[in-house]
Amino acid sequence: MLLLEKDPLNVIITGVGGQGNVLASQILGQMLVQKGYVVTIGETYGASQRGGSVMSHLRISHKDQFSPLIPQGLCDLVVGLEPVEALRVLGPYGNPGVLMIVNTRPIHPIDVISGDAQYPDLEQVLKEIRSLSRRLWTVQATDMALEMGDPLFSNIIMLGALSATGILPLEREDLERILGELFPPERIPANLEAYDKGREAVQEYSP
Amino acid sequence: MAENRGLQALEANVIQKDLCAFCGACLSLCPYLRSWGGRWVKLHDCDLAEGRCYAYCPRTELDLDAIHSGLLGGPYEDLAMGPFRRVVMAQCTDPQVRQRAQTGGVVSALMSLALDAGWIDAAVLTRRGEDQLPEGYLVRKREEVLICAGSSYVAAPTLEALNRGPWNGDERIGVVAIPCQVQALAKMRLSALERKTPIDRIALIVGLFCTWALTYRPFMEFVRIRVQGVPIQKMDITPPPERLLKVHTHGDVWNIPLDEIRSFIPPTCGVCLDMTSEWADLSVGTVEGMEGWNTVVVRTERGEELFERAEKEGLLEIRQLPEANFQHLRDASLLKKRRALKALQERGELATGYLKLSQEAVQRILEDGTEAES
Amino acid sequence: MSLIAKDAPGQQVLLMGNEAIARGAVEAGVKVCAAYPGNPSSEIIGSLAQVGEDLGIYVEWSVNEKVALEISAAASFAGLRGLTAMKQNGLNVASDFLLNLNLSGTKGGLVVVVCDDPSALSSSNEEDSRAYAKLGDLPLLEPSTFQEAKDMTKWAFELSEELGIPCMLRSVTRVSHARGNVKLGEIPKDVREPHFDTTHPIIPLPVAWTHRSLHDKLAKCRERFETSSFNIYQGPEKPELLVVTCGSSWLYVREAVHNLGLEDRVGVVKLGTTWPLPGDFLRRHLKRAARILFVEEVDPFLEENVKAFCAENGDELGMKTFLGKASGDMPDIGEMNPDIVTETLKRIFRVSYEPRPSEYAQNATQIALQHAPMRQLGFCAGCPHRATYWAVKNALAMDGRDGFVLGDIGCYTLGIAPAGFSQVKTFHAMGSGTGLANGFGQLERFGFHQPIIAVCGDSTFYHAAVPALINAQYNRADFLMLILDNSATSMTGFQPHPGTGRTAMGQEAPVVDIEGLCRALGAHVEAVDPFQVTETTHTIYRLLQKGKGLRVLVVRRECALVRGKREGKLFQVRVDQQRCIGIDCGCNRLCTRVFKCPGLVWDPETGKARVDEAICTGCGVCAEICPSSAIIKEVA
Repeated sequence: MLLLEKDPLNVIITGVGGQGNVLASQILGQMLVQKGYVVTIGETYGASQRGGSVMSHLRISHKDQFSPLIPQGLCDLVVGLEPVEALRVLGPYGNPGVLMIVNTRPIHPIDVISGDAQYPDLEQVLKEIRSLSRRLWTVQATDMALEMGDPLFSNIIMLGALSATGILPLEREDLERILGELFPPERIPANLEAYDKGREAVQEYSP
Repeated sequence: MAENRGLQALEANVIQKDLCAFCGACLSLCPYLRSWGGRWVKLHDCDLAEGRCYAYCPRTELDLDAIHSGLLGGPYEDLAMGPFRRVVMAQCTDPQVRQRAQTGGVVSALMSLALDAGWIDAAVLTRRGEDQLPEGYLVRKREEVLICAGSSYVAAPTLEALNRGPWNGDERIGVVAIPCQVQALAKMRLSALERKTPIDRIALIVGLFCTWALTYRPFMEFVRIRVQGVPIQKMDITPPPERLLKVHTHGDVWNIPLDEIRSFIPPTCGVCLDMTSEWADLSVGTVEGMEGWNTVVVRTERGEELFERAEKEGLLEIRQLPEANFQHLRDASLLKKRRALKALQERGELATGYLKLSQEAVQRILEDGTEAES
Repeated sequence: MSLIAKDAPGQQVLLMGNEAIARGAVEAGVKVCAAYPGNPSSEIIGSLAQVGEDLGIYVEWSVNEKVALEISAAASFAGLRGLTAMKQNGLNVASDFLLNLNLSGTKGGLVVVVCDDPSALSSSNEEDSRAYAKLGDLPLLEPSTFQEAKDMTKWAFELSEELGIPCMLRSVTRVSHARGNVKLGEIPKDVREPHFDTTHPIIPLPVAWTHRSLHDKLAKCRERFETSSFNIYQGPEKPELLVVTCGSSWLYVREAVHNLGLEDRVGVVKLGTTWPLPGDFLRRHLKRAARILFVEEVDPFLEENVKAFCAENGDELGMKTFLGKASGDMPDIGEMNPDIVTETLKRIFRVSYEPRPSEYAQNATQIALQHAPMRQLGFCAGCPHRATYWAVKNALAMDGRDGFVLGDIGCYTLGIAPAGFSQVKTFHAMGSGTGLANGFGQLERFGFHQPIIAVCGDSTFYHAAVPALINAQYNRADFLMLILDNSATSMTGFQPHPGTGRTAMGQEAPVVDIEGLCRALGAHVEAVDPFQVTETTHTIYRLLQKGKGLRVLVVRRECALVRGKREGKLFQVRVDQQRCIGIDCGCNRLCTRVFKCPGLVWDPETGKARVDEAICTGCGVCAEICPSSAIIKEVA
């Protein structure tokens, strides 16, 4: 509940189309609504194809329905499913107090694949993110997900990691209930496992 | 930035200037260039700074001294016909071959022998496919050689078949080529770029005499209209003085005066400096005024060896080429060079450094040519 | 159990705006819902389809928006409540019927939801559908929040039923595709018997009478709007500036006013009922200030109508200064956001506001620009369209007559982009590629010799290409039609369509056979699998070369995402690092530089390509194009 003295608390979940960004924000939002918060989520994506930058804005409040778009410079927490996307949102939305949880696995844009652009050095990206934020947690979410057999688990792993930081009041039981509403029963255990793996991957936040 | 010597330069300096000879040297070396329907086709852009397509093209640069010294040693001296050992006339002793062939059947006889005797394992020839479309054709048996006999008068991307293969292991390869292709083969053999095609396994090059080769698509469209859409079986050009394109359809022969098809000669033939395939092992053409006989220019040691063997085995009958014919051949060859030089001069291509040849030699060709033309 | 069917009155749930609209329809007792998918509207019918069976609602994906509206209208004519939902372009399709339906009138409540897409985030145009409400004299509601989206939808049914005309509900992307808290209401249990009263034909004639009647209905509607709780004023008694706003813009205005600390100086009129204007309500609040700022998306709809209203009521309201799109104070294209409104208010009030140190802002912007390469939209890994456009590109190059592709609406529209090798040269409305091909296909008589390829997806084929194909056959238009059948409406979320063999509600359905239909027209029809790249290329080439008149090639391969959800990878694909020749002459990175599938990665350090196992879906097409046979596909 640490940061929720700030109202609204502004969270951006960002990544690349196809990474399960929208689902992650939906699950996170539902977990918080179950806790009694007023949540607004705005999704920002171009067309529905993969490959583009995707961003969800979450506004978490005790009392008010906020707009689905976070005003510039007012993001409190970034969950980055892809490192360069995490860095990108700091341009318009970052501030010195922003907290960052970032999956370190790059996804190369088409222009990088084709050679028209370069993907930056990962260490450099993380260094820049560190310099522009209050704190950075890194998670090898995609690698962990691939070990589990499906890269799509990475978004739930990231939610697990987020819960472990203690920044938001997230509870496993809430997740379990929401997964029950979203998925057939046979898919729930693996997702819970992903969540637990994410929880183990980072340490609690102490300012 | 270094000058581009890849596809970009090939397009700018050759394709866009309408100088492509459609020899096939640049085709199917990579996924970018193909021949299709008688055309040079670029499927995708390639931005490499240096590429074999450019390096092999007979119209990018032509350094006759370097080719001569690289292949044979010493400078390029015979400005009329290139290096040769002797010039004779010959004909295949097998009348069946002669009938199928354009003139004396020497090329078919030599290639058949080379395959039979294990001189080469495979040969890259040219055949006419569907709709008379000429294409490179790979043969490994002597019986297949005759499929490719006869001229098609149309530019063929023969060397694409060399690039494409498929080749088995270390097969030795023979090629029958026209002068632009023989030039390309010379450039291939001397190129410093990494070889991915079996250039080093080329064991025999039989060159053909050539003054021009037509552009397939517009030419065929013209012919189809002239024969009123009737399916074409065969086309021939009769020797002077008749000089007619005879188009055979089912039961009919259509005569088209040669002058009517001259507009389908591409500009690239006008800048070609070679009539007699100077860098081949043997060059073969017709003999003016003598039906059923070939002129044969024996140029290299291995050419000589094969030719002698063909005579020894009774496959070829060889005779002395009359001096008048020899002189006529030299004059014609020089005339082509002279015209090409003038054309290059007019197009400004001499200034771009396309031709690496001493100023003195250029002058000599231009002057000798004056004489020859009259 | 989906939230929109949850029988838990009073519970707070998180709903997407489109789900809230669907829930509103459920709470209104809707019985028939029909639509053609189109973002940002698709989830309305999509979510209703999931609960239709349980709640006794008939839900269908119709072939196009006009048919969908007609289906909902039929329910209304029989006394039931009907709903249709569409994106702005869809309303253009449905408008012919709608602008007769307004005159003929309706019976059971009929709600037409239109989801506009300001800034065209997933659209080909930026259209403000509110003009249709005015054009058709129809009531128009615009929700700002998720709660309103639900409640307004429910009310729209009541209003429609009371007035006897369809009611329009206009949403925007930031409502439809956003999520927020919604307090659930009751789900009614009443049952209505459908019946069509054969003694009262429902027709727009005589127009002189029905048009008069429509205007009377609209006047009655205005009375209802005067007292609507969806219209509110927030602010001081006498503000320095009055903001008139609606839709999601209201939330941006509230936030900007709050962030700038202008609560005591700015008053906000938020309208939920935007046509006809609630005159009395407006009169009350317009009196408060002499300066009025309009904040709305996209066209100056409120701005112009309120201005006209002020002119009519000049004696009472006095002189006003209007700030908005016409004055240049607000952008006249694109969607709103909190920052745009903040900037405008900062300028108007000359106040300063810095949400973060300017040094940080500069630094972060510069670093992001420097290090974060842009992400172009592209086809998914394993998308059949990439293979198709590859074949098209090759076939057109082989053909050599400067042929080109007329595009249409769907994922394959991205054929305009490098991801589709920039093959598509036009795209406009659903089916327009085929229509344009009809036109180009008649130009040979004027010396036009470029070959024409029209492309359309399977869903677009049923939607709007069929009439154009009939026309092509009838008038002997000369072109090649590629029907890119990926067995789903993938662009909008994989909705079923007449070719998929199942309905919106998951029931089996007869397959409307694309080839059969085209053959029946008399067209030459063939089919290929785009993953057989060489065969597809040669088939396209042959049909370009040899054909005359209408030739149809069905290019069929299931959407990679649909297939991927059901089963794993088709092939395990890897790059043999020894065989890969990278940038060498003979390849020059064909697979990454030219083919550009996101499942491939170029490794500059090794100078080789490799497969990104997290992204590759195992289609194996790259193995077919690799000139070095370095890409190995093994059955997964």
